[in-house]
Amino acid sequence: MSNQRPAEGDASAKTAGRDGFAVEVQDLTRTFGDFVAVDHVSFSVARGEIFGFLGANGAGKTTTIRMLCGLLLPSGGRGTVAGYDIMRDYERIKLRIGYMSQKFSLYDDLSVRENIEFYGGMYGLGRGEIADRIDNLFESIGLAEHADKLAGSLPLGWKQRMSLAASLLHDPEIIFLDEPTSGVDPVSRRSFWLLIYALADRGKTVFVTTHYMDEAEYCSRISIMKLGKIVELENPHRLKERYGVSTMQEVFLKAVAGSDI
Amino acid sequence: MHRIFYIVQKEFRQIRRTKAYFGLIFVAPFVMLLVMGSAITTEVKHVPVVVLDRDHSPKSREIVNACAASSSFSFLGMVDSQAAAKELLDDGKVKLVIDVPAHFARDVATGAAPSVQVLVDGVDGNSAGVGLGYVTAMLAQVQARWAAERPSRMPAGPAQISVVPRMWYNPNLESKLNFVPGLIGVLLVMMTTFLTAVNIVREKEVGTLEQLMVTPLASLELMIGKIIPFAILGFAQLTMSVIAAGVVFGIWMKGGLLTFYAMAAVFALSTLGLGIFVSTLARTQQQAMFIAWFIMIFALLLSGFFVPIENMPPFIQYITYVNPLRYFITVLREIYVKGTEFRFMWREALAMGAIGVAAIVSASVRFQKRVK
Amino acid sequence: MKRTFASIFRKEMIHIFRDVQSLFMVLTMPILMLLLYGYAITLDMKGIDIAIIDQSHSPESRSLVEHISSTDFFRITARDVPVDSVSRLFNSRTVRCVLVIPQDYARELVAAPGPQVQLLVDASDPNAANFINNYVGRVISEENVRLSGHSPVLFNVSPRIFYNPDMRSADFFVPGLIGLILILISSLLTSIAIVREKETGTMEQLLVSPIKPLQLILGKVLPYTMLGFIDGVLILVVGSLWFNVPITGSLVLVLTMMLIYVVTGISLGILVSTLAKNQAIAMLAAVMLTILPTVMMSGFIFPIASMPKALQYVAAIVPATYFMEIIRGIVLKGNTLANLYQPAGILLAMDVLLIVLATRLFRVRLE
Repeated sequence: MSNQRPAEGDASAKTAGRDGFAVEVQDLTRTFGDFVAVDHVSFSVARGEIFGFLGANGAGKTTTIRMLCGLLLPSGGRGTVAGYDIMRDYERIKLRIGYMSQKFSLYDDLSVRENIEFYGGMYGLGRGEIADRIDNLFESIGLAEHADKLAGSLPLGWKQRMSLAASLLHDPEIIFLDEPTSGVDPVSRRSFWLLIYALADRGKTVFVTTHYMDEAEYCSRISIMKLGKIVELENPHRLKERYGVSTMQEVFLKAVAGSDI
Repeated sequence: MHRIFYIVQKEFRQIRRTKAYFGLIFVAPFVMLLVMGSAITTEVKHVPVVVLDRDHSPKSREIVNACAASSSFSFLGMVDSQAAAKELLDDGKVKLVIDVPAHFARDVATGAAPSVQVLVDGVDGNSAGVGLGYVTAMLAQVQARWAAERPSRMPAGPAQISVVPRMWYNPNLESKLNFVPGLIGVLLVMMTTFLTAVNIVREKEVGTLEQLMVTPLASLELMIGKIIPFAILGFAQLTMSVIAAGVVFGIWMKGGLLTFYAMAAVFALSTLGLGIFVSTLARTQQQAMFIAWFIMIFALLLSGFFVPIENMPPFIQYITYVNPLRYFITVLREIYVKGTEFRFMWREALAMGAIGVAAIVSASVRFQKRVK
Repeated sequence: MKRTFASIFRKEMIHIFRDVQSLFMVLTMPILMLLLYGYAITLDMKGIDIAIIDQSHSPESRSLVEHISSTDFFRITARDVPVDSVSRLFNSRTVRCVLVIPQDYARELVAAPGPQVQLLVDASDPNAANFINNYVGRVISEENVRLSGHSPVLFNVSPRIFYNPDMRSADFFVPGLIGLILILISSLLTSIAIVREKETGTMEQLLVSPIKPLQLILGKVLPYTMLGFIDGVLILVVGSLWFNVPITGSLVLVLTMMLIYVVTGISLGILVSTLAKNQAIAMLAAVMLTILPTVMMSGFIFPIASMPKALQYVAAIVPATYFMEIIRGIVLKGNTLANLYQPAGILLAMDVLLIVLATRLFRVRLE
């Protein structure tokens, strides 16, 4: 698998020729009492895109994802995921999306295989279907040799892969990854991103949040959040050009400092 | 439906790997019943007694000997003064002092009817009353013996009413028969409420609960999926408790097994429902444990296990209506000691069922998949 | 050395006062529990449902029935039901006992030996059965005294009840409740302390500062001990005022003993959570080992002297056992330290032992 980055202009190329966005939100808002966590956020994500959300802790990335996945009720605004309205049809959305949380929520006292079988069952897959898919999935994600080990005994990099596998068994169109690489070593991080590319190549839409600047460069488009608002939304290359800098780190610092929120 | 199966399968896989559950199901009933069942008794035994003999006559010595011979007392000897007796009482070394006055024998012979004082440590009213009863009975026996020895100068005497007591179901008034069945219920509620609450809250803490909310799983499916394995574990433990009660104390239920398990099922529904409800209140496992504890103490103290509910003031009796353990303790005693049939206990079954349903419904209202 | 201890102490205090929710709970729950259980736990019986089967229907039998129902001990729920319905009455728990006065009652009263009445009791609760038996026995003796004009006794028995002349349940149970509630609250407090430890990351503290585990443990134990002590004072005040429980002995002594006891409770709690950190089930076992013995084996309700010897030894390692003796001794008997130096000494020794153990185990955990 070569170290490919999506070329510039790829994003627009992918939306052309298909109808509808994978994710589309307008003025999405969420408040907790007086605190505004997500402040009138609008964006669209095309199918097959790798869409990144960058921001400091507390910027509102996780809150946004949770609203899109039907875990949190938005305080205002509209949105659709996989064509379904996030306010009314949030249960329908769930069958078509996969979600990987920051905590890699897994059952430590079950084996990798048992964990994934379980989630397969949650998504309504039958015994036979699960059996068929699980071995292929293990192959493509590289978990085959660890399949029967207890999840709790795995090092962090493998837990991460397991968590991803669990979100993929039911073959969702869109995958939401919330800081999927936090705490993982750089080598594992890179091979994880190779997996993400493979998913995007197969036509899946990947929505990922991160606070690693280098990962921002791997995305088709990146949005930078600060204090609940989106301050930039653009292809990473073009962002670097516009800001006249060579790393995303510098882009981020300038973007976040510059906006006078 | 199909998803419930997967939840149950997952739970059992986890349970199988947790060794502690086996201890709880197989060992705990025996240990708890052995220890608690032996400890808990309202019978009063080995009452420590001393005698203050101011008379030193054959008659007073008879009283002393009666004391020493009595199996209810632990006779600790004689004292020479009331001050010494009082000190022993203050120190808690004795609970009763029998004070035979000077010239006792002489006064008895002349018909002057002297008074034997009994000093009682009244701190524990129950024990004090029972202890006093023992002394009174012992002294009455001594009296009767003396009266029989005397040449009968007195006329035949007037008619006296006598009471013939018949103790139904428990002729020897063993307090174990009262408490052991109750302990079975106590063990069950601890297992079901506490463990269910902590289990669900652990998933909340670790994050797997959120992962479940993202799937199409319905809250009701989750609750049923959690209830089933713990209900099965609860029944396993219950069965072990029944066996333990029989093996350790020789107490087997007089009534029907079917009635017993049917009642247990309804009770388990209420305690599991409560456990799930508690899990919706707590954010961390520690919190869950504490809420569960307080509920258990409440359930325990206000269930009629230690103290009959009729003793309690009316407003507290009303509060006990929401305690499922109250009904189950009643039912357990009925089935174990009296062999009562189901038709006399339908009210209790209904109450437990209603509490269970209410708890589950309240829990599902609180258990929103999407946070508002 | 003192500085690090003081800083931990101060930090814990700040945390405590900022956590208003927990603070509120810790201060109000004990009072609620005291009020609730103070009323609920009483062995004084009244309102016992009885069925009277009067087969004599004579003025004499009616007089006996009146005498029996003259106090609120009994509540006559059924009259003159057929004798074979007794089983059903007991099964449906309509009555607890039945008094059967035979047809020849009045006739037999004329001359010795006298009539017999039957008392059928549902003895599934043997304690209640005893009470009922004793009560009826007393009533009958009073009747007999009335019948015979004078009691043909050789000597009288006159009881003198010390410390609790009216043998009120409240006087016995309320001090005991203080002991029970204090140990519950101590466990709650240690739980809060442990959660804070997790949140604030004690491990970091230990690694960064040259603190000794003993200082850490003490720094945790003391603030919560103060809270627990305040709770104890509250319950004592409410208990004595509301339930009219007299405080016969020295108040200072009571407070000192409470302090020692609270330290025991909290050290025990910290020790238990140091051991049981990982599994909820280990926690459950720990709960069962602290709360249940306190309720059932400390002499709170059930007399220790009545337990089998083996269990009396078990009761000897339950801290509450000693506190029960102490607090009842001071409050009801006016005991001084001279009477109580033994249990007090044991509690103090337990404090030291538990803190030392907790410190040792903490060190082990670190390595």
